[in-house]
Amino acid sequence: MPPRPNPLIAQLADELEPVRPLRMRHGLALAAVATVLTIAAIALWQGLWSGPADGQAAIFFVANGLIALVGLASARTVVRMAAPRVGVRQDGLRWLLAALAILPVTALLLMTLEGMVGRHDDVTDGLNCFIAGTLSGVGVAAALIVWLRRGAPVAPNLAAFYTGIAAGALGSFAHGLSCPFDTIGHLGIWHVAPVAVSAVLGRVAVPALIRW
Amino acid sequence: MIADEPIFARLMTASQGGDRRAYTVLLTEAQFWLERFFRRRVPPAQIDDLVQDVLLAIHAKRATWDETRAFLPWLAAIARYRWVDHLRRVYRASESELGDYDASEDSEEDAILARMSLDRLFMQLSPAQCNAIELVKIEGLSVTEAAKRTGQSESLIKVNIHRGLRKLSALVEEAD
Repeated sequence: MPPRPNPLIAQLADELEPVRPLRMRHGLALAAVATVLTIAAIALWQGLWSGPADGQAAIFFVANGLIALVGLASARTVVRMAAPRVGVRQDGLRWLLAALAILPVTALLLMTLEGMVGRHDDVTDGLNCFIAGTLSGVGVAAALIVWLRRGAPVAPNLAAFYTGIAAGALGSFAHGLSCPFDTIGHLGIWHVAPVAVSAVLGRVAVPALIRW
Repeated sequence: MIADEPIFARLMTASQGGDRRAYTVLLTEAQFWLERFFRRRVPPAQIDDLVQDVLLAIHAKRATWDETRAFLPWLAAIARYRWVDHLRRVYRASESELGDYDASEDSEEDAILARMSLDRLFMQLSPAQCNAIELVKIEGLSVTEAAKRTGQSESLIKVNIHRGLRKLSALVEEAD
């Protein structure tokens, strides 16, 4: 049977222009630039904490390292999700998120045992870090949303959720480089909270921006 | 010509470079592929609209295919995404009969097609969710008719459709 002529195909072929394929490395570069600019802005505005250079850091490297790792892995996942694919699961990232949860669980456990839950000065400092960390993720979130809008995410809700995690984690990491409170109680709760809150915000607000 | 993965990939590479003849062949072959892809899960009268919708999506998002990756999974992901979107939009179809339009599975290409087919998504749903979506969203029964047919309450049918579509949406990328 001869093929049926489809006027839509003729029209789309007439409109065809060359395109530059979306490369994953460009998306990663975009997220990296947003993160570096955020760190630079924080360094200029608040200055970076000198504790690590002076050998005073205790939990700083573990907490910020884990948060940064979650941010990088999430950003990479989001960048990949811009291209339609099937048969892809994010199990590795889920385990990494579970590993990150060890920080607040440990913090709450220790604070409960030591009877330090809800101390006023801790909460005030913590809230400042929580707000600063969350706001610091805005640049990364914007970069990833721009990337997803250029792409074609076929799981927009999940892409939105991971966008929130990436933004919250990289923002919290960037802010964490300036934070002088180097305890598990502070870092485990107030520096991980931006990740959780940004994940919820991303899941709620981002799908409408990236649906196609 | 029956296009297979290497042919699709070559045509798409040329199309991304602006080759209109290659693009015409690509879209024509993609149209045949999509018609077979949707045959078992979409009422015949709606297939054309859905295929046109996917062709438009291919055109708009052609830059998202990377030549280092296979073409057919890319096409299947877009087809699944548009299909779930279609299920959401079409609450009650006018046609209620789905014939036996199963594609034959005697070639390698058909095996790939079957592997990525929409049935694999339905297999991930609970039987109640699958039933509710098939009866109301695909066969076009009303919620009341579907409730009578399955013995579920009307509110349960609605809940199963809602949860089933949400699950399908999440599975578009994850399922093989």
